[in-house]
Amino acid sequence: MIKKNIIKNINYTKNKIKSLDFDAHWYRRVFHTFGAALVLYYMLPDIDWINTLKIYAPPILVVFALSLEILRLNGHLSSNHFFGLRMYEQKRLGSYVFFAVGILILLMFFPQQIAIPCILCACLGDPIIGELRNRSNKRYANSIGFIICMFFFMIVWHKSNIYLLFLISIIGGFGAIIGETKKFWWLDDDFMIQILPAILIGIIWILMPYIGLSYPDIIIHPFRWPW
Amino acid sequence: MKKKEMEYVKNQNSNTKLIRTEILFAPLLLILPFLIGIFLINDWYVRGLLEGNSADFFGELIIGIVIIFGNIIFDIPFIRSLKNLSKTK
Repeated sequence: MIKKNIIKNINYTKNKIKSLDFDAHWYRRVFHTFGAALVLYYMLPDIDWINTLKIYAPPILVVFALSLEILRLNGHLSSNHFFGLRMYEQKRLGSYVFFAVGILILLMFFPQQIAIPCILCACLGDPIIGELRNRSNKRYANSIGFIICMFFFMIVWHKSNIYLLFLISIIGGFGAIIGETKKFWWLDDDFMIQILPAILIGIIWILMPYIGLSYPDIIIHPFRWPW
Repeated sequence: MKKKEMEYVKNQNSNTKLIRTEILFAPLLLILPFLIGIFLINDWYVRGLLEGNSADFFGELIIGIVIIFGNIIFDIPFIRSLKNLSKTK
């Protein structure tokens, strides 16, 4: 009887840990895809007080997240309060901070024609590549990931010159995949997948007027105010 | 990175608290991207299609669809995992 109870308890604990693992995994994935909603930034109406909010709100949110992480790393806040942390994040900034800093840099310093596809690469491309890698091999996952990331750049640059469209899509997709596959302990892929393609395309963006190319139109138009 | 390092931090004592936090955030994580996607598609319809500027707003339509579709792919297993978790509680 006692033996039976012990086995029952062990199985119960095993199931609980397994389901918690599974749950944390999908929680992280959903957290990623949620980030795509941040394109809301470009939908906000173009009026004074909202423009001021657009300048101050994102850095304040990132500083808040960074403060939480500093408190956690200093031991003032327990890691138990953070759901879905990985082992390697126990003694390092959580991936979500890298993710947030990457998005902040894109929103503040890059035009939306560069920022939107890079945000989509991090928010949708990264979890899709991760899932494909879990289910098949690395090369297949990276190839499909490359096509998906290319597609994000194509959407935003679809009105530009056809050669430029392919150049930007290939460089963007390539940058995103390199950023995703190069994992360092001190620099997360959630940051690199956004910033690397943004820098590469940023260089082309700066050169465009000098080689006689015009910038594509914005893709997301601010809402009218009042509605 | 080693496989061990990729595992999630687990602590039996704090599980309930953590899952409560997770469930608290779930509606926001699930609903907001959908709303944004619908807003974008609606904007394409109202300012694009109805006002005859469909080409200018075509990108909004595609991005709206991509956001909604991308979220559905991951929301379904997430909701399923929440259900499984409540069963094993």
